[in-house]
Amino acid sequence: MLEIEGLSKFFGGLEAVSEVDLVLNKGEKLGLIGPNGAGKTTFFNLVSGVITPTRGRIIFEGRNITGKSPHDIARKGIVRTFQGINIFPDFTVLENIVLSCHLKPGIGLVETVFRTAGSRRKEKAILSRSEEILDLVQLDGLAHVAAKNLAHGHKRILGIAIALAAEPKLLLLDEPLGGMNAHEVSETMALVDKLWQRGITILLIEHNMRATMNLCQRIVVLNFGRKIAEGAPEEIKRDQGVIRAYLGAGGHAA
Amino acid sequence: MGRIFAAVAIACLLLLPLLLTGPYHLHVLILTMMYVVLASSLRLINLSGQMSLAHGGMMTVGAYTSTLLVMKAGFPFWVAMPLAGFSAALIAYVVGYPFVRLKGIYFSIVTIFFSEVVVLTAQQWQGLTGGNTGIFGIPRPSPVVIPRILRMDFSSKTDFYYLALVLMLVSLIILYAVERSRIGLILRGVQQADSLAESIGIDTTGFKVLAFTVGSFFAGLIGGFYCHYISAISPDAFSFLFTIYILVYVTVGGEKKFVGPILGAAVLTILPEVARPLKAFMPFLFAAVLIAVIFFVPEGMAGLPDLARRLMPRSEKRPARA
Repeated sequence: MLEIEGLSKFFGGLEAVSEVDLVLNKGEKLGLIGPNGAGKTTFFNLVSGVITPTRGRIIFEGRNITGKSPHDIARKGIVRTFQGINIFPDFTVLENIVLSCHLKPGIGLVETVFRTAGSRRKEKAILSRSEEILDLVQLDGLAHVAAKNLAHGHKRILGIAIALAAEPKLLLLDEPLGGMNAHEVSETMALVDKLWQRGITILLIEHNMRATMNLCQRIVVLNFGRKIAEGAPEEIKRDQGVIRAYLGAGGHAA
Repeated sequence: MGRIFAAVAIACLLLLPLLLTGPYHLHVLILTMMYVVLASSLRLINLSGQMSLAHGGMMTVGAYTSTLLVMKAGFPFWVAMPLAGFSAALIAYVVGYPFVRLKGIYFSIVTIFFSEVVVLTAQQWQGLTGGNTGIFGIPRPSPVVIPRILRMDFSSKTDFYYLALVLMLVSLIILYAVERSRIGLILRGVQQADSLAESIGIDTTGFKVLAFTVGSFFAGLIGGFYCHYISAISPDAFSFLFTIYILVYVTVGGEKKFVGPILGAAVLTILPEVARPLKAFMPFLFAAVLIAVIFFVPEGMAGLPDLARRLMPRSEKRPARA
């Protein structure tokens, strides 16, 4: 589904991401881990088109998407969430989802200005789809609350719901568990698993090691911008290079 | 509620010239209606999270376009005035793409420069624009005659009043339709979180340019109207201060609601006329009103009913408890 070849991004002399190769298959749950500053978020920014790579290619479903703008890439089916909170704060929860739904079902802009019968029907369809999404993420009771007034955990869930409404084939989750309590962590992981069961391929960045190991079938480890390991969770746990990268045993691993 | 209020307001505006026959009063009302359109269209641009200060420049573009089309190319006014809007929109579209790459205050700064470039062009291109002195004797709109029903020859202010009223109503209807459509929702989304909007597939650059283009269209249109009304145009007719006044109308009226700029423009144009003896102090008065609004009613005059509602229940409960 996603093939990445020799992906590199240099900021001046800093190699934020360097020569990373990665193949992601349709229907996979892949975890991307690494110490702070390993280049995980830069990697997401490259794949989602926020920044352009210095070198390398990104192929999605057979098409080269390197250097495309973020909205183009989102429309092709790669949708990312952000580290921290990213919602439309002044909108209600429902409006957040409605806005995000509005992309796909082809309502002409002019059509909505003149409020044709066709556009009203489509608006209705969007509203019911938005309500379904809120049911799925269990925010349906909060539909009419202003997003900025939600609790932290709910804001993070709303962030995922916004991405979900944009109909991703591949969902990039950037530390979805940050700042959550144990209960919220297990609920969020259950939600991610539910999305995966609905056919969405998952690429997850997370510092919560146990949750990542439990959820993902395969894990890729980055350190100083380079891929240092790749494999099943059990293999990664035993990998000497990975242990060195995290604990720094025996001096600098780089 | 809103509809009834709008219907009553329109009926009053239709009948007003029968009561106010003095040309001066009509002149003030015509200006007020122009400012309502300018402030409302500026708000549409602000809705996308970009504060344009090019409105004066866009009016100048529209005014010269219409003047030159009528006087040098022999176009009828009724064709030239809409073209004035389209020329401003076209220019906004072309400069919009490079401009909206700049965010926040940097966007506002380039729009100021844009307005200055328009003024300089009008001053220097003497063969076409008449340079600093501008152009005088711009013809009135050609008469509109529907036999036995309507006869408007624009020899009186009353005819201009009705033309301005029609322009204002049509402009407000279009702006309102745009705002409550999907475009309005997307623009407000872009204003709140533009990288999030981009991440869910919204072409944020495109929508910012769209808002700038549509907003500038109305500035150009009003510029086209104004020069035929005053029958003269000069390069610095719509200075930087003029644009700032429009922005003050938006802020004082309240940016969050559609009625905000309408209220702001109406009150702040009519108030100085009531307080004419203080005319020399007007910029100070404006500044005082602006600062007072920013500090005490950040949502502007349009936010006053909400504010009152928030304060009211408290005063109602107290006697009940006692």
